[in-house]
Amino acid sequence: MNMRPTDLGSVVGAPVISLRGVRKDFSGHRVVDDLSFDVARGEIVTLLGRTGAGKTTVLNIIMGTTGIDAGAVRVAGADPFKEFKSLKGRLSVAFQNDRLLPWRTTVENAELGLLILGEDRKRARAKAIEWLANVNLAGAEDKYPHQLSGGMRQRVSLARALAVDPELILLDESFSQLDHVTSRTLRRDFCKVAREFGKTCLIVTHRIDDALEMADRVIVLGPGARIMLEMPLAEARIDQQTRDQCRAQIETALGGKDEADES
Amino acid sequence: MQGFNDQVIEAAHRRTVPGSRFAARAANLLARSTVRETAATTIVVLLLIAAMEVASWYVPDYIMPSPEAVSAAIWRLANTDYIHVFATLGRLAAALSFSLVAGVLLGLLMALSPLLRPFIRSLVVIDTGIPALSWILLAVFWFKNPETRIFFILIMILMPFYALSIYDGFRALPKDLVDMIESFRPSQLQTLRYLIVPHLVPYVILTTKSVIGYATRMVIFAELVASALGVGSRMGLAQSTFHIDEVLAWTFFLVVLNIVLQLLVTAIEKAVLGWRQETAVR
Repeated sequence: MNMRPTDLGSVVGAPVISLRGVRKDFSGHRVVDDLSFDVARGEIVTLLGRTGAGKTTVLNIIMGTTGIDAGAVRVAGADPFKEFKSLKGRLSVAFQNDRLLPWRTTVENAELGLLILGEDRKRARAKAIEWLANVNLAGAEDKYPHQLSGGMRQRVSLARALAVDPELILLDESFSQLDHVTSRTLRRDFCKVAREFGKTCLIVTHRIDDALEMADRVIVLGPGARIMLEMPLAEARIDQQTRDQCRAQIETALGGKDEADES
Repeated sequence: MQGFNDQVIEAAHRRTVPGSRFAARAANLLARSTVRETAATTIVVLLLIAAMEVASWYVPDYIMPSPEAVSAAIWRLANTDYIHVFATLGRLAAALSFSLVAGVLLGLLMALSPLLRPFIRSLVVIDTGIPALSWILLAVFWFKNPETRIFFILIMILMPFYALSIYDGFRALPKDLVDMIESFRPSQLQTLRYLIVPHLVPYVILTTKSVIGYATRMVIFAELVASALGVGSRMGLAQSTFHIDEVLAWTFFLVVLNIVLQLLVTAIEKAVLGWRQETAVR
């Protein structure tokens, strides 16, 4: 696999994402209130919260599509809003719904980001095919999105995000529209690939299982995107007892059990 | 991983089997309705020919000639007046192409420039309100050259259709897809190339499909008033010299031309929009 060298699992050096005292109001309503956190290189962090907690606003701020009213944001060393173009190729996003272009085949969708980055057409095609194989979609290259199942389309979306070899991958409820079996397998597959290539990931979700199965660390957000709980989860991924304890703590921080979770 | 892959394929298969049956049933229904439609069209054409024949027994030739006389006129005109057919087709192609390009550009300008939008929109809306006859009469006063007249008339009539369609198409651009492509930080040209233009292609084709029959009628009408060359002018000449068989022969040609043009656009639609999912409603 032809990837940029990344500092696998390292937490030293400048964080890839850094938010300091971030505030954002919409029509006089404070959606994000004094939020600060860091995400280190190679780390997989989950931003967990109920609907309306301001998760998507935080994600939009990190993506650079929404500006802030106070505080400071740095993503890969740049201000994502003011230096929007400087993050070209360094950040990619997998959205809640697959957002595939219906007129492009699977491989054409997967190579889209590479073509935008100015990659040579042949090399872009080769990389896209390779990434489709990585997400278990070999043989589906020439199919159009409407010919694929929901899970397969989401895999194409992940391949498209991963193919550009970004420093940072943002996942916005990327598995929440899938059934539990598909969602669990995709989460596992994604984490395997992300860890193998040392990608920094910020996963925005409302499902506790997403956090417990994928993240090195969880940040639980309450109303106004205030941090209710922040804790490491690396051990919870392998130890059932720790996992149950973490789940209980997260549920308490969220103010109750999440019915969306499967277990 | 492999197990899951099999599961996905199996699930997809489970989903596609009833869908395939449904699609096969829909295709079968469609085939049967096509046969019915062809049979109905044939019956209607035969009845019209019979009505022409019967009418020709009771009225003079300059009111209703026999189908045989019309067939003879078709053969005669095909050998002598093909230059007029080419002139009409050339004018139609040139005006349609120019209207398409200019209309698409106007539509994009309307969509992309909030500053210019109200001005262009007002112009386009005023243009759609002006009757075709007004443009034809004005063109005769304003331009000496018949080609300029016909070109002007056609673009003034056709261009607004494209401009409004493209503007509406742009407004229907899914925000989800815009956000997705912007997450890769593309240039404006790349957004245009990978998202906007492909999204607008169906709108261009559907507009062409809608206006092509209208455009054919307008070019004939414009030629009748503004030129001595072309099918419209020949129809005018035939009418003024009481050659009703030639008027009917040209009419027959125009009906066939319209069918051919519709088939051509449908073929282009199938080739360009092959990615679209076929849907059928029970």
